[in-house]
Amino acid sequence: MELQDEFYNNPEYIETASGNKVSRQSVLCGSQNIVINGKTIIMTDCVIRGDLANVRIGRHCVISKRAVIRPPFKKFSKGVAFFPLHIGDHVFVEEDSIVNAAQVGSFVHIGKNCVIGRRCVLKDCCAIADNTVLPPETVVPPFTVFSGSPGSFTSELPECTQDMMIDVTMNYYQHFKPIGKGKERHK
Amino acid sequence: MATFLDVDLVKYLCSCGKKRPVCRLYLCRHCLKLRCGDCVLHEVRKLVDTPYCPNCLENMPSAEAKLKKNRCSNCFDCPSCSHTLATRATSQMVSNPEDPNKSTPKKMYYMACGFCRWTTRDVNIADKSVGKFYVSSNSSGGWEDLENPDAKRIFSLLEQYQQIAQKEKAEKERKKYVRRRSYMTYAASIDKYGLTSVAAKRKSLSTNVSNISLKENEEAVITQLKPAEPTGEFEPLPEDVFTQPLLLDKISTISQRHATPEFQPSETTSMYPVHKHLLIRRSLRCKECEHNLCKPEFNPISIKFKIQLVALLHIPEIRIFAPTDLVFKKETKVILTVCNPAAYNTTIELKKMDPESDDFSNSKAELPKKEIILSRRDDAAIYDDGSQGQEAFKDDHNIVPFRKANKIGVIVKVTPQVQKENVKISFILRHDHRNTTISLPSENQEPQIVWLEHKVFIDLGPVKQK
Repeated sequence: MELQDEFYNNPEYIETASGNKVSRQSVLCGSQNIVINGKTIIMTDCVIRGDLANVRIGRHCVISKRAVIRPPFKKFSKGVAFFPLHIGDHVFVEEDSIVNAAQVGSFVHIGKNCVIGRRCVLKDCCAIADNTVLPPETVVPPFTVFSGSPGSFTSELPECTQDMMIDVTMNYYQHFKPIGKGKERHK
Repeated sequence: MATFLDVDLVKYLCSCGKKRPVCRLYLCRHCLKLRCGDCVLHEVRKLVDTPYCPNCLENMPSAEAKLKKNRCSNCFDCPSCSHTLATRATSQMVSNPEDPNKSTPKKMYYMACGFCRWTTRDVNIADKSVGKFYVSSNSSGGWEDLENPDAKRIFSLLEQYQQIAQKEKAEKERKKYVRRRSYMTYAASIDKYGLTSVAAKRKSLSTNVSNISLKENEEAVITQLKPAEPTGEFEPLPEDVFTQPLLLDKISTISQRHATPEFQPSETTSMYPVHKHLLIRRSLRCKECEHNLCKPEFNPISIKFKIQLVALLHIPEIRIFAPTDLVFKKETKVILTVCNPAAYNTTIELKKMDPESDDFSNSKAELPKKEIILSRRDDAAIYDDGSQGQEAFKDDHNIVPFRKANKIGVIVKVTPQVQKENVKISFILRHDHRNTTISLPSENQEPQIVWLEHKVFIDLGPVKQK
């Protein structure tokens, strides 16, 4: 099935010059530490904790409603340290998921209601099924699907995952349409 | 994105007779047939396949992986919840051998599960002095593996099997029964006795002498093993089974026992870390012509392919455009989208399937009668608004309602003939395909154009209830 149009309330979203669509209802803490590379959608009630460490999100990503992106920490003998969080291009994070990973590669799909534990590494072209709990420091190799609690390898993705993810994230952006009149355009 | 889109609604018929979504199919460009994951050859015994550890992502040749029983020597799984164990460092006070009154701090390591909080200390495994865990027990301080009580028996059985294989082989050669095995015989079938490497060596040397084949008049010696003795009686259950209350948290679960089939600990206190299972990056070959269909790069982290003939990049992909209200016995226009992945314009045609060979469809579908031209794929097309250059195709809007870059909509008129089930239709997708294998760049030939036919099965969803 092709993706269907999804409408958002125009005044609610800010569209930047590089095509990012960020909801005004989202919480971006420490916005000077957050880099979003373009054509990425950040929906209502998302939380991105740039105040803890740098967060970099690639192009054509979708961060769905109520998702939380927060950099991971590690305990050392002298207190804790936060690590920067990198998310690649064409990454789709579905609703209510919490991403605490150290690194999320490109072409990754994270399902609904997932918890990605501290300092997990999600390589390129992998997927996390809905309702998965990935314990801290899990590594998800390319072309695998992890599911369950604790998340474990359950199936393989097709070799054309990269093309499919590009297709989905780009189509999603095209189908994410405004209704109503927008406010002023931000630069 | 196989996990986000519902890819199972539209399926193509693979040449082996299975219906698969297009993303799970391959197109062999030599025999021009669709292949699915079940009808390709795997190359387990060759070096191109890379077993790798899903945790440390270290890859190794398949021979080494076999030696290590397809497990990683450095990474361990939690015996309680099967998550990967993490190494924790602590400092312990160790008394100084020179001066007994002084004690120096020493770093010691133990393993802990980040999910269920199980640690090696729970089962009284002493902390180790090295952080890296090596499999060999002679490296001081590493994590030794428990010894399988039946290891000796298994080894002697294996040895006997090899002798039997040797004998069988000698007999075969004596009979000059030299039906040449295709070198692509499915690896597992001839690797029964671990002789593949020997066979491969033999083949490459193309000599009759190999270390395993016997001379003409020599008899194979088979050591007779004591056959396993069946147990007729069991010891009666101890009394305290009936008298003592059952402590469920002390007893291991079935899945915990099955994680280590050789020990099967019945109590949680006897659980031991399990070496992590390896995963594999496979390269696939066509079953008929033995050409490569998919060959990933050696590195397990890489997502690039040296050869990739997935069907999604070669044959037009059909999807349902939008959910449609289908009413029983009423003709409804259903829009399908057809996307051309090729770098040239493709002509497609939808044909009726022979009703005898079609056990899938349960409704009437009126297909467009004309051939339709699909525009070629242009990666730069996303930067223009997609309105130019589309007039050239002169589309009949009763057949093609819209056209955008390399994607078109096609109207199929469907009359549901069922009330309760999902409406299903099927047809043949016929399209031209430029075969790029034959034309070498030096020959400067026009690529050969062939017409391919694929059987397509579409599940349109349930009929609307009044």
